[in-house]
Amino acid sequence: MSGSDPVIEVVGLTKSYGRFPALRGLDLQVERGQVHGFLGPNGAGKSTTIRVLLGLLKADGGTVRMLGQDPWSDVVALHRRLAYVPGDVSLWPGMTGGEAIDLLGSMRGGLDETRRTDLVERFELDPTKRGRQYSKGNRQKVAIVAALASDVELLILDEPTSGLDPLMEAVFQEVISEAGQRGATVLLSSHIMAEVETLADRLSIIREGRIVQTGTLKELRGDVRTTVRAVLERAPAIDELSSLHDVHLDGDRLTATVESTRIGEAMTLLTGYGLVSLTVEPPSLESLFLRLYEDEQASAPTGTTTSGETGTAP
Amino acid sequence: MSTTATAHHPAHAQPRGGHLTGTAPLLRTSLRHDGRLLAPWIAIATLLSASSVLVYPWVFPTQQSREGLAAAVGSNPALGLIFGPAYDLSTADGFNAWRALALGGFLSALGAIFAVIRATRAQEDSGQAELLASGVLGRGSRLLTGAAMALIGSLVLGVVAALVTVLCGGGWEATLLLGATFTATGWMFTGVAAVTAQLGADARTASSMAVGTLGVLFVLRGFAYSVDAPGWTSWVNPLSWMTETRPASGNTWWPLSLAVVLTLVLLAVAFTLQARRDFGQGTITPGPGPARGKDTTAWRLAVRLNRGPLVTWALASLMLGVVFGYLATSITDIFGADPAVQQILAAGATSPDELTSAFVVTILSLVGIIAAVPGVQIMLKVRSEETVDRVEPILATAVSRTRYYARHVLLALGASSLYVLVAGAVIGWLAGTADIGVGVGDVLRQAVATVPAVWTVVAVSVAVVGARPAVALVAWVGVLVSFLLTLLGPTFGLDDWVLGISPFWHVPDVSAADVDLTGLGWISLVTVGFLLVGFVGFRRRDLAR
Repeated sequence: MSGSDPVIEVVGLTKSYGRFPALRGLDLQVERGQVHGFLGPNGAGKSTTIRVLLGLLKADGGTVRMLGQDPWSDVVALHRRLAYVPGDVSLWPGMTGGEAIDLLGSMRGGLDETRRTDLVERFELDPTKRGRQYSKGNRQKVAIVAALASDVELLILDEPTSGLDPLMEAVFQEVISEAGQRGATVLLSSHIMAEVETLADRLSIIREGRIVQTGTLKELRGDVRTTVRAVLERAPAIDELSSLHDVHLDGDRLTATVESTRIGEAMTLLTGYGLVSLTVEPPSLESLFLRLYEDEQASAPTGTTTSGETGTAP
Repeated sequence: MSTTATAHHPAHAQPRGGHLTGTAPLLRTSLRHDGRLLAPWIAIATLLSASSVLVYPWVFPTQQSREGLAAAVGSNPALGLIFGPAYDLSTADGFNAWRALALGGFLSALGAIFAVIRATRAQEDSGQAELLASGVLGRGSRLLTGAAMALIGSLVLGVVAALVTVLCGGGWEATLLLGATFTATGWMFTGVAAVTAQLGADARTASSMAVGTLGVLFVLRGFAYSVDAPGWTSWVNPLSWMTETRPASGNTWWPLSLAVVLTLVLLAVAFTLQARRDFGQGTITPGPGPARGKDTTAWRLAVRLNRGPLVTWALASLMLGVVFGYLATSITDIFGADPAVQQILAAGATSPDELTSAFVVTILSLVGIIAAVPGVQIMLKVRSEETVDRVEPILATAVSRTRYYARHVLLALGASSLYVLVAGAVIGWLAGTADIGVGVGDVLRQAVATVPAVWTVVAVSVAVVGARPAVALVAWVGVLVSFLLTLLGPTFGLDDWVLGISPFWHVPDVSAADVDLTGLGWISLVTVGFLLVGFVGFRRRDLAR
């Protein structure tokens, strides 16, 4: 990553629905070739951001550049180079999945036949069913196939795997990594931490219309501590475990956290009590996310937390 | 409706889980939330009926002016198509019975159809019904709730319309009977909609089938009375039963009992069908479709989305052409049979040719107003697609907003024009076969002259959907205003400047010696204005979510 070739560049973006401010000065930068995770609770402004990026909503303030173009005025040229999967796919009731894929693909400027066939097969999609007959997961598959069958530079995915079963979730992760290998840039909004953890090179976390944290997973983990669970032969006294944090002792069972840099030290300490079993868990994105929000919530004085996914429509 | 009472059971008793369990609370909730949606229908029907008795003595104060009205109505069979026969126009009640019976019943039926479909099929489509069905709710409860809503709504409509009309000066018996026909028509179509809700696999199909049935029966009634069809034709058409009650000119109550019987039969059929079908499915189940798509452009998508209605309306316009055309062939007989018309002709006030061409102009205006309906529907489809998030993925591709909108506007204007021309061609062809002094060319030219007015009406919906989609129903204003002013305006004795609000007022009679096209020029300017507002609005606004 050179750091000088941004595919998405958002500075100070604001957008209100009536008097409800959905975005309050959002900054977001996604470099070429990145898979960029976009995280946040319901109503934080993820979908609003994405809809501004797609030119479906007009920004109130700030600047937005995508692939060097303006998403509001250069719609057609820009949309030839990107594909989009919404989180809640609504298909035409009388149109088959296959027809919907071809419609969306050719409106984007054509799709790759071999990849289309391959994707339909891998996602085990029956393209002859009609829109109203598909389950939520299958509707989602139609949108994913339609988006990925085109050869585009940028994929914008808004909670694309909601409704997919774990097998299909795995196929999705494979397919996105392949797109990454082809050099595509991906903006992945998601609630599924494992998915983001596996796929994303960088993350941005949004809260109440602003990005509150951004960086690689490693950077974000930062000082978040590793969890240690152990069963010991002899129960130690609490004050002997001063190098550990958040210590819980239940007879011979110990749960505690430790700074990533001091794991070796902790192991030496615990071995002294005779280890029966041991698990060491690096901080998951989930714990990071929860921690961040708990902190924020504790420090947030006003009660303006969350409302609907993108707030109230105007 | 008495069955709703069975849903009550003492709180301490174990519920038996009957077929209709849970109807009472569901009905209460539905009435509270959706009851207000019935209000517009009640208001319009009441206005229609009450305004008749209010304006009658004012617009037609003398015996002479009342005879003039009878002559005018008798000399234009196109009016009979909509209003049915005029039995007695010499009293306010008779005038009201003629003016409000058919349309009031039509409104009541439409309100009932939409209430039933909303509470049954539309809920199944949206998934709301699934939530309800998983609760303590009998199998038939949702259908019963929908039907009860419509039955209650129709009853309220009839009662309110009658009471308000009586307060405005209507006679008791005639007015109550008129109100009863509104209610009875609403009830019958509650039954029809309950059946079609079981047949069609989604709300749109179900309501199209019910409204289609209503439309066909409505046109057939008007046609049968206009051409003096044999008496039995009145007894095979449920809408004619209502006409046969003859409020203010006979006051026959018993045909209403036929309507009650029909309602009960239809509801019984609906419950039987409902018990046999699976949740969310129709009686007609679709098979697998093509794995590959051919509709790959914005234009083809627009056509595809409206395919069903486009075909239905093409058939409807052919039928309309046949009905009106057939009427045109018998026009000289109709004039000959009407003593009032004979009087006018004898006085030399007008010539048979003039009457005929006035008739052709009216009939094509009527065709034009009807043909504008599919145009408005196509524009409203843009909005409904938007609200269910199906426009979003399209506009996320390389299709610009302007192009997407333009294809739909083109389809709306094109389809409406085509339907006017198709109906015009059929009318012309039929008229040409009879010796009434009107040829195919005359009627077609008149149809072409009507098209710009149709565009103006459709353009209203283009502007509304483009710029103010939150009030999408306002898209119908053009159709409504044109209809009211073109058909009802003359019976109100309105001034020219008011009548001129309807674009159809500006359509010239092209058979006249020198045809003045400036009116069409003006309304076309208005059309362009509406289109501009629509396009600019659609390009600038946020997409719905």
